[in-house]
Parts: sequence; C-alpha cells; structure tokens
Amino acid sequence: MPHVSGSVLPEGTAEAMLPRPFRVVSQHSETPDTVTLELESEDGGGMSFSPGQFTMLYVFGIGEVPISISGDPHKPETLVHTVRSVGAVTAAIAALRIGDRIGIRGPYGVGWPVGEAEGRDLVLAAGGIGMAPLRPVVLDVLARRDRFGAVSIVYGSRSPVDLLFEEELHSWRSRFDMEIEVTVDRSDEAWFGDVGVVTGLVPRISFDSTNTVAMLCGPEIMMKVVANELELRGLASESVYVSVERNMKCAIGFCGHCQFGRDFLCRDGPVLPYAQVADRLRVPEL
Amino acid sequence: MNLRSIRDSSELLTRLSNTELEFFETVSHEAQLANGEILFEEGGAAESFFIVATGKIGLEMTIPGRAPVVIQTLGPGDLVGVSWFFPPYRWNWRARALEDTTLVAFDALEVRRECEVNRDLAFEVQGVVAEEVVRRLHRTRIQLLDLYRTT
Repeated sequence: MPHVSGSVLPEGTAEAMLPRPFRVVSQHSETPDTVTLELESEDGGGMSFSPGQFTMLYVFGIGEVPISISGDPHKPETLVHTVRSVGAVTAAIAALRIGDRIGIRGPYGVGWPVGEAEGRDLVLAAGGIGMAPLRPVVLDVLARRDRFGAVSIVYGSRSPVDLLFEEELHSWRSRFDMEIEVTVDRSDEAWFGDVGVVTGLVPRISFDSTNTVAMLCGPEIMMKVVANELELRGLASESVYVSVERNMKCAIGFCGHCQFGRDFLCRDGPVLPYAQVADRLRVPEL
Repeated sequence: MNLRSIRDSSELLTRLSNTELEFFETVSHEAQLANGEILFEEGGAAESFFIVATGKIGLEMTIPGRAPVVIQTLGPGDLVGVSWFFPPYRWNWRARALEDTTLVAFDALEVRRECEVNRDLAFEVQGVVAEEVVRRLHRTRIQLLDLYRTT
C-alpha cells in the first residue's frame, strides 16, 4: 500500500471546521418558540458578514446547526441569531442564558444581492421564521435609505403570536419611507390586521416592475407562490432571489450534504436567483 | 365616486370597455362604512357587490360560543363578494369593516340583468369572478398547508 503523507483535506479545511467561542450577552423571546440571541466572541474579534449569510452554531456536547444571521451588518461586534426551537440542538440554543458559551463557525454562503438593489425598488417577502434572514437587509437599507427606490416588505405569519420583530415592524412602519404589509393565516380576537396568505399582499405594494429586485425567504411553497404573484405584476424571475436551505453540515462545500442539483447550498447559496432554481424547486427528490 | 379613479386598482374595472364602464357607473354608488360596521350578514340576499376604494373589509365566520373569526381581509381594489353571481345568491360570510372604509357598491340585480342581454359583458364579468374564485381557492389551499407550522 502506498504511503500517504499529510492530510487528505483541502488546505484550510481543518481551521474552517474549528468553532470560535462566543458568549450570550442578551436573550429575547420573540414568540413562544423563538428566541433572538446576541453573542460576542471571547476573542473580541466580532464577525463581519453580508445580509443573508449564515453561521454554524455549535452547542457543545449536543450538536451543530446552520442558522442565518439576523443582526445588523453595520454592527459586526455583536452577532445576532434568531432561532426557532424545532429540534434537539435548536431547543438547546433556545435554552441558552446570558453568559452561556456557544461555538460559532462562519459566516458562510452567498447572501442577498443588496448591492444589485441599489438604485432600484426593493421588495422583501418573508414567511414565518424567514423574516430573520431578511432583517439584516432591512437594517442595511435603512442605514443608507437614500440609495434605494421604493422599499416594500410583505410578511406572512401563522398567527399573531408567531410574528417576529413586532416592535421593529411598528417602528419601521412609523418611518413612512417603507411600505410594510403584514398578514396572518389565522387570526385571533385581538388581531386587527390582515388575514390570508402572504401572496394576497403582493398586489397592494408599489414597485416599478422594470426596475426592482425581490428577495424572498420562507417555506419553499410560499416563495414559489410569491414569485408567481410577482411575475403576474410583471417582475422577471431573473430579478427575484430566494433563500434555499437543505441539510448543511460542513458549511464549506466539502461534505455534499446540502447538494441541491448542481449547487452546494452552503457554498453557492443559500441565496440563489429564482430563475436558476425554479425548476429544481419542483423536483420532490431534491 | 368616479369609477375611473379606482379603475387601475381593480381587476374587474380594468377589464371593462369604456362603454361597459359607463354602464357600471349607472348601477353603482359610493358607500362609507365606519370601523366595525357590518356590510352584509351571512345568509343574506346577495343583491350587491363591492370594490374597496380605501380601508379594509374582513370576511368573518360566525362560530357559536366564540367571537367571529376573520378568515380573510380585503383591501383597496379587491372585489368584495362573489356569491351575487351564482345561485342561490346568498352570502356565505359576514363582511365587516375593520377600519373606516370607502367602497363602490354595485347593484348586482342590474348587473345580472344586463349580463343576460349583453353576452360580451357577461363573459368579462364571469371571467373576473371565476379568476377571483380560483385565486381564493389557491390561497385557501396554501393556508390549509399550514406552511409555518414547526412540528
């Protein structure tokens, strides 16, 4: 047997798999099953990122999960994640308290094309927890609002208690420089807003279909129907971007767990042009 | 209210010819509802239909022992009511203003009568109503999927 010396991994892979220790500095319950954590690195280095990128969050002894960054890209000293408790690792993350330690790898992936949206109208459509990966876009746009045309947010949630960032939504709406439409699938007696699926909000918003970028984040069916509704309004699918997620493991395009057709979503995504993935989103096996 | 002022926001009005629009103007009037006011009741005769100009209408279902449940909201440009076009011409839901609302109210009896003699108009109206029904069916199916459920 020939002797093989050195690592079989590409250079830098081992370092990329090593989490950095962070501490929880703030914990806020968004909904009964969703928390927003503010984290600071123990090495004091912070983490610069682009809106739409994700990190791998490692709860020591339990496991690692990919979570999109929900914080302000202009404040890299604080890493913010909004996490819904749906499994063992995310439940452990949701249970973290101030001072607890967590491992972070990243940031990874291709984010939202905010630069491409400059000088154009911008439509953001979120469903459920999908509001979290779009929050950095909103914060980025608000920090330099004059560089964008009309900005619209349409946001659909299961019920009023499941709405994320409710106070921020109110404050964004009160600026009067963005159009914000929110709907819930199921209302309750205290809800005075819209009821119905998020696609029903699309006809209400104002944008120039010849000069608009749309960013959609939520369940894939929701993104498909919103993309269809935008197309009915005249927006070309080439101007629509979606965030697609699969089972990301290594996060560096090495293990193949998140392969989606010809793309590794951790490396080539999670944000991809809808025109590039629309056909694949109709393939059940993918 | 001049129908031309809200024409662009309404699929029905957009599809009408100028002549057809003139007919619709003769069978319509502006209606104002204060927040909370009832537009029509479940089971009532569907003798009108409406297009929202400003404000918001909630379609509600009455459930014994519970407060009415809003199942859908309709805003500017939306058509309120499709039951006026199909026998037995009775409302299936209650409609209530969820904020101060201005609507254009159409006399459904007159529109149905005109559709009997003007088949071109009937075709356009039927198409719009059918598309609205299909759109609501699709949205209801999406709602039934409960997409945002976590477990």
